[in-house]
Amino acid sequence: MEQGIITAIRVVPLEHYLVLSFLLFSIGVAGVVFRRNTIIILMCLELMFNSVNLLLTAFSAYHSDPRAQVFVFFIMLVAAAEVTVGLAILVMMKRNVDSVDVNQLNRLKG
Amino acid sequence: MIVALLLLIPFITALALMFLRPTQQAKNVALISTLASLGVVLFAWSAYTGGTVIHYNMDWVPAWGLRFVMGYDGVGLLMLILTAVVFPFIIAAGYGEKLQHPSLVNALLLFTQTFLFGVFLAQNTLLFYIFYELSLIPVFFFLLYWGGEHRRAITVKFFIYTLLGGLSLLFGIIYCLGQGAGFNGDFATIGALNFPLSTQIWLFWVLFLAFAIKLPIFPFHSWQPDTYAMAPLQGTMVLGAVMLKMGLYGIIKIVLPIVPQGVIHWQETVIVLALIGAIYGGIIAFRQSDLKRLIAFSSLSHVGLLCAGLFAWNSYGVSGSLYQAFAHALLVVCMLYISGAMKERVGSSEMGAMGGLKLRTPRLAALFLLVLVNAVALPLTQSFVGEWLMFAGLWQVNGWLAFAAVSTIVLGAIYMLFAYQRVMLGPDKWALEMTDATTRDHLVLVPLIAVTLFLGVYPGPILDLVDVPVQQLLSSLSLN
Amino acid sequence: MRTDLLAILVPVLPLVGAIILASLRRKLSANVAGGLATALIASSFVASVVLFMGFDASTGGRTVHMLDWINVGGMNIPLALRIDALSLTMMLIVTGIGSLIHLYSIGYMHEDERAPTFFAQLNLFSFAMLMLVMGSNFLITFIGWEGVGLCSYLLIGFWYKTPEYNYAARKAFVMNRIGDVGMVLGMVLLFQRFGTLEYVSIMDMATGGMNDPLMIAATLFLFIGATGKSAQLPLFTWLPDAMAGPTPVSALIHAATMVTAGIFLIVRSSVLFELAPFTKDIILWVGTATALIAASVGLFQNDIKKVLAYSTVSQLGYMFVALGMGAYSAAMFHVTTHAFFKALLFLGAGSVIHALGGEQDIRKMGGLKGRVSLTLTPPSIRMDGPVKITYITFFIGTIAISGLPLMSSFFSKDLIMAYGFQHSPVLFGLLLFGALLTTFYMFRLLFLVFYGTYRGKAHPHESPLTMTIPLMVLAVLSVVGGLLNLPHLFGGHEPMKHFLETAADAIRYEHLGLSATTEWILMGITTVLVFATIAMAYGRFAKRATLEGAEADMPFFKRLIAQRWRLDEFYAALFERPYGWISTHLFTTVERHVMVPVMNGVGAAALAMGGVVRKLQTGNTSFHLLAMLCGMIVFLLITLMSN
Repeated sequence: MEQGIITAIRVVPLEHYLVLSFLLFSIGVAGVVFRRNTIIILMCLELMFNSVNLLLTAFSAYHSDPRAQVFVFFIMLVAAAEVTVGLAILVMMKRNVDSVDVNQLNRLKG
Repeated sequence: MIVALLLLIPFITALALMFLRPTQQAKNVALISTLASLGVVLFAWSAYTGGTVIHYNMDWVPAWGLRFVMGYDGVGLLMLILTAVVFPFIIAAGYGEKLQHPSLVNALLLFTQTFLFGVFLAQNTLLFYIFYELSLIPVFFFLLYWGGEHRRAITVKFFIYTLLGGLSLLFGIIYCLGQGAGFNGDFATIGALNFPLSTQIWLFWVLFLAFAIKLPIFPFHSWQPDTYAMAPLQGTMVLGAVMLKMGLYGIIKIVLPIVPQGVIHWQETVIVLALIGAIYGGIIAFRQSDLKRLIAFSSLSHVGLLCAGLFAWNSYGVSGSLYQAFAHALLVVCMLYISGAMKERVGSSEMGAMGGLKLRTPRLAALFLLVLVNAVALPLTQSFVGEWLMFAGLWQVNGWLAFAAVSTIVLGAIYMLFAYQRVMLGPDKWALEMTDATTRDHLVLVPLIAVTLFLGVYPGPILDLVDVPVQQLLSSLSLN
Repeated sequence: MRTDLLAILVPVLPLVGAIILASLRRKLSANVAGGLATALIASSFVASVVLFMGFDASTGGRTVHMLDWINVGGMNIPLALRIDALSLTMMLIVTGIGSLIHLYSIGYMHEDERAPTFFAQLNLFSFAMLMLVMGSNFLITFIGWEGVGLCSYLLIGFWYKTPEYNYAARKAFVMNRIGDVGMVLGMVLLFQRFGTLEYVSIMDMATGGMNDPLMIAATLFLFIGATGKSAQLPLFTWLPDAMAGPTPVSALIHAATMVTAGIFLIVRSSVLFELAPFTKDIILWVGTATALIAASVGLFQNDIKKVLAYSTVSQLGYMFVALGMGAYSAAMFHVTTHAFFKALLFLGAGSVIHALGGEQDIRKMGGLKGRVSLTLTPPSIRMDGPVKITYITFFIGTIAISGLPLMSSFFSKDLIMAYGFQHSPVLFGLLLFGALLTTFYMFRLLFLVFYGTYRGKAHPHESPLTMTIPLMVLAVLSVVGGLLNLPHLFGGHEPMKHFLETAADAIRYEHLGLSATTEWILMGITTVLVFATIAMAYGRFAKRATLEGAEADMPFFKRLIAQRWRLDEFYAALFERPYGWISTHLFTTVERHVMVPVMNGVGAAALAMGGVVRKLQTGNTSFHLLAMLCGMIVFLLITLMSN
């Protein structure tokens, strides 16, 4: 990896990355748990992915270990696939129940 | 090779039937498959020279020390023979039934056979447990979709009840595995367990409950009559002929080795319960109006005797019980087949609707009579050998118990002859022509009856098979 | 060897016949089937005779091993036959009388469409009966024991369209089974004690130990078995009902052979019974009671076969009395003579029934002998009755059973009565009374059927030759049967006793210690009283045109006897109906209202638990996600804290 980027990343202290990704992840969790709109839930999922990605990159840079960044690429790939499936489900949902509210999907109620 | 074949033949055939749905050929395919299994088992029998034959022994869950061990000994082989002999006839009985989706029906039956083979081949308690519960699943669906009146409620009840027993068994097995006393679940290492008597006393019931329900013995039997009466003919045959023998096998292979002192502690209690069931079932059977329900109660009676004989825990009692298990399997198939054949002709299995049928179906009446002779355990039939041995075994335990056991021969005669009379004898009330026993009826009943009579005159082959393992079992526990 | 093969052939031939006839029953005609069956049983008879001729009594007997049967864990019970004096005697009776009755049946059953089935069952019966008497151990005897029970069931219910007949068949089987419980327990006990069931070994081992409780129990159990099969109190009520079967069946099974199985069994195990005097006393009094009760009932029966049936029960009672006194050879002697004359009487009754087209009620018979006149030049008896052979032979049978001097029963029954006198004069009195009752009802039967005027409507005709030949042979045997065991008093030397004692040791010890004078006096008393009874019966019944009225008019005690001591009703009230009631209520009450609810309770408990837990499954996706999150946090904390 280019030394310049690593230096650039290291300009910001690690604690800042931690705080930022913690905030991002928390927002994502809160969004997934509390919002009812499926699109927002999907976006919040992405947010969580990205917070983790950010953290992985930061650690990678600070530890001078490139393996974590390989993980990031994997995660992005999986996230893309997941979004594809997620959006497909969304479309089906819209078609079937004419809504994107997750609370409409309560057939599993015991 | 034998083990793999026994598991794969029915399993692959079942999968094929399920996915290819050869509706017209389904029964033939299933029949060929069961006959092939029978051939394999008979080959295994001819090659068997004694001892425990282990075919597979490999790591299964290394983290827990579990091993995947499959094989058989004399008792297991007897059960395999029983299963293999009975299944072709169960499949053949299906030719008379007009069930929908024959491919699925036969697939489910073959799945059951696979898992039953698995139960009798497993040499590891947990493996045994897994097959034991698996075998319930195809039967569950069979009963649920092809059963008679009230099938949902009855099937679910049956399922919950037997599952409850299974759960108790699982708990017991895990408890034993958790002892860490060198017991890794294999039958071969059960000897390492050495519970104090106080533990054995309660652990006995934990383990025994599953088999008590499966057999069933009094007072755990009440799932049985309804289920037998409601289930489709072949389902009842599977339940009555083979599945309940799993209980017997489990008691010998799991309960006795793990808690030998517990078994002795509860011996008389179990015998008394079993005999109460034998007498109770025998008495109730007398006034049943539905032939299938009568068979259910008669089976309860026979099984009670079987269990009592087993719990004599001496060589006569145990050999007799195992021998009788074989006899009972054939008997149940014959009896149910006849009830099916009557239903085919009369349209109901209510005996009130029958009577005087001997005039219309004399061949069937003759076959029924031959089955009846076995059912009431006349000498020179298979049942007599088993019953005699059990009586001799029970006498060694307690004369009064033997007396109670012997008195069931009267009850058996009362309800069987009454049933025969109500079905076959009496004035002719059928103005219409009825087909007598067909070629199919003969093909099913005659070989079964022939085996019954042959093994009644010459029981040597089967008795020799179980004699040595039973002696070993008893001597290793110094119970004899 | 050759004898062994021959011995095996004796039971196997009828078995083969049964199998062939049963499988070809639709293809064979009645006569062919009957001929085949008769030929096979007759071959058995020939084989038995050859065995008998070649038998050397001094060797005691031989065991013919056929096959290992039950052989497991120290129990070794072979399928083996025992050829000795006792089994040979019984074999000759079974095959000999069996052959005659098979022959008779050809004529009797030729119109029945199911005749081949009948002969198959008759052959099967012969097989079972031969197994019973030839078995070398208790369990082989038990094979035959249950086999004859089954055949009896089948043949009583042969005409299965009549519900009463089926009921009678069932009753016979079930009552036999009640006895069998005793038999099985007895066998189990003996096995437990001796470790074997071979007669020879057990009898060798059973020495000393008088009144050993175990021996008393074992013998009592065997005796219970015998009461079932041999129709003794309290299990005799099946035998009169068993008359529902075709008459040859009654003759063969319910008079000559099967019902004597109990006596055979006790003689076979006589050594054991000698060790249990208590059991012998019980046998003695059960036998006496049965003899008297059955004889009393015989007085009022109006069905020709029922009279004979009660007479059979009564005569079996005499045999048990003999056994109870340890007079085993006397019992066997009476078994033999009884087989002759009772078979004769039944076949004669069958011939009468046949002649009258199925009529069995003696109130509708009478006058069948026609006019009998003696001419002296040339010396001959002229008879114009329709059924003269039947009449003559039936007459001979009647005087034989009544024990008129020099008839077979004169020797056999008087021997038992003499033993009775030796035991106690009271017993002799009771037995004599029973004998007079026998004489009375038998002559009542004879007079009502053949004397007086004909009261029926059918046209009587004599039976065909196949039926009359057996009658004549049996008549001869009934007359000369006494020679088989001619007592010293008449210049004989009791050949049968000496023959049998080679097979059953206990017979060596039986001894009639009465003086010749006492015996002559007893014989004289008996004979005089028998003749007096005949005269009384003649006076009351020989000239009758009608019979007394309904049972309702009789005084109480007479009515009680006429209604068979109301034993059937008593058993019905005490056992049959309660059993049905219990059966119904165990199902409707206990099973339906206790057992099933308990099981349902388990299901309900499972459902209730589910009801609690299901509340958690809100179906709300967010809620589930939150729950998942909480779970993850909990696991995280656990992991952190455990480090």
